[in-house]
Amino acid sequence: MKKIVYLIVLVLLSGHFAMAQEEAPVEKKVDKPVRAPWESGTLVNHQTSITQYKNTLEMVISHRFGPVENGISDVFGIMAPGANIRIGFNYSILDNLSVGFGTNSQKKYQDFQAKYTPFQQTRENTIPVSLTLYGNAAIDGREDAAFGVDYAFSDRLSYFSEVIVGRKVNDWLSVQASANFTHYNSVDSLLDNDKIGLGFGGRIKFSPQSSLTLELGVPLKIESISQHTSFTNHPKPHFSIGYEVSTSTHAFQIFVTNGLGILAQELYMYNTNEFDSKSIRFGFNITRLWNF
Amino acid sequence: MKKLKMSIMVSCALVMLSFVLMSFVQEKKPWDVPAKYQSMKNPQAADDAEMIKIGKMNYARHCKSCHGNIGKGDGPKARSIDADLGDFTSAEFQAQKDGVIYYQSFVGRDDMPNFEKKIPDDEDRWAIVTYLRTLKK
Repeated sequence: MKKIVYLIVLVLLSGHFAMAQEEAPVEKKVDKPVRAPWESGTLVNHQTSITQYKNTLEMVISHRFGPVENGISDVFGIMAPGANIRIGFNYSILDNLSVGFGTNSQKKYQDFQAKYTPFQQTRENTIPVSLTLYGNAAIDGREDAAFGVDYAFSDRLSYFSEVIVGRKVNDWLSVQASANFTHYNSVDSLLDNDKIGLGFGGRIKFSPQSSLTLELGVPLKIESISQHTSFTNHPKPHFSIGYEVSTSTHAFQIFVTNGLGILAQELYMYNTNEFDSKSIRFGFNITRLWNF
Repeated sequence: MKKLKMSIMVSCALVMLSFVLMSFVQEKKPWDVPAKYQSMKNPQAADDAEMIKIGKMNYARHCKSCHGNIGKGDGPKARSIDADLGDFTSAEFQAQKDGVIYYQSFVGRDDMPNFEKKIPDDEDRWAIVTYLRTLKK
């Protein structure tokens, strides 16, 4: 009799456990960030939403040759004097936060930058776009005389900040748009210290490793922030079209652009070149990653 | 006596020659795969088209430069690597367990670098294994 009671209790308990297992909350599926919306942290001159994984060191070598206007005599600008070169290092403190430093031959700029992606587009579209915040501060390293009379160290400083919204539309197309603000502490008397601009970028991937890249930056004429009654030497939009190939630890970008500048504030404040057959120039960016 | 001397000398010469020849033949070092990996199974179906596509993309980005277009170990970097790069299309490679391929591919050893930090998502790693299975001859 006792055995039968034990058996009944056992059966009832096992049923209870089985039900408890059934009632256990179903593990919530995490919607992961979308795969590789861009190949690297830079598109051409603008940033992308990519920040490398935590504890990754990124080296970026950027080069802009001279304009193609002299044709074969200087191999379409490749052997022209006045090229612009920058080497920069960025380190990812978190998966979505990186800080960096770069040194630039143009105006001997020394720049410090930070990039933060508070949220990324997800695979199941729970978050449909990525949002990236980027900012830098640059020191113009030229002789004191370049800054005119009443020189102060603060005259050397310039800043660029940008909010970027991007989306990987499908496996072969990614797009982004950005709003940005440039400030120079010291400019020529007829120029404005501040400039607001819009940036647009896209990537068309045509093979597992290769893409066509397009980029446009438009400095806006906004009277309410202008210090003058008319715009003098208003900077021209910069447009770039390029080819990008990436591997596990490298990204190579070669492009044609009408901007000499590499730092974004230089392009949004001082680019006077049109995108025409004389002013365009070749350039490239090479990115190398090290994981720690 | 002269014959014995001769045969000893010939034997010594043959032994020495075999040592010299052996030093040129690359020894295939067996993989010491921990039990944890031996028992791992690929959670993805062998015909999951989406995962095969993702695996192919990641293979092109991370593996192709050494292992070649279709995994024959003949990528442009292969010539500068001493290690045996294997042939992913071979029956010998394909006979290995999923977890063994996973360990070899992402934990690595010697010339085969660790890819755990470069490919942190487990789903992406298994997608490469799923793709490697499609390379079977």
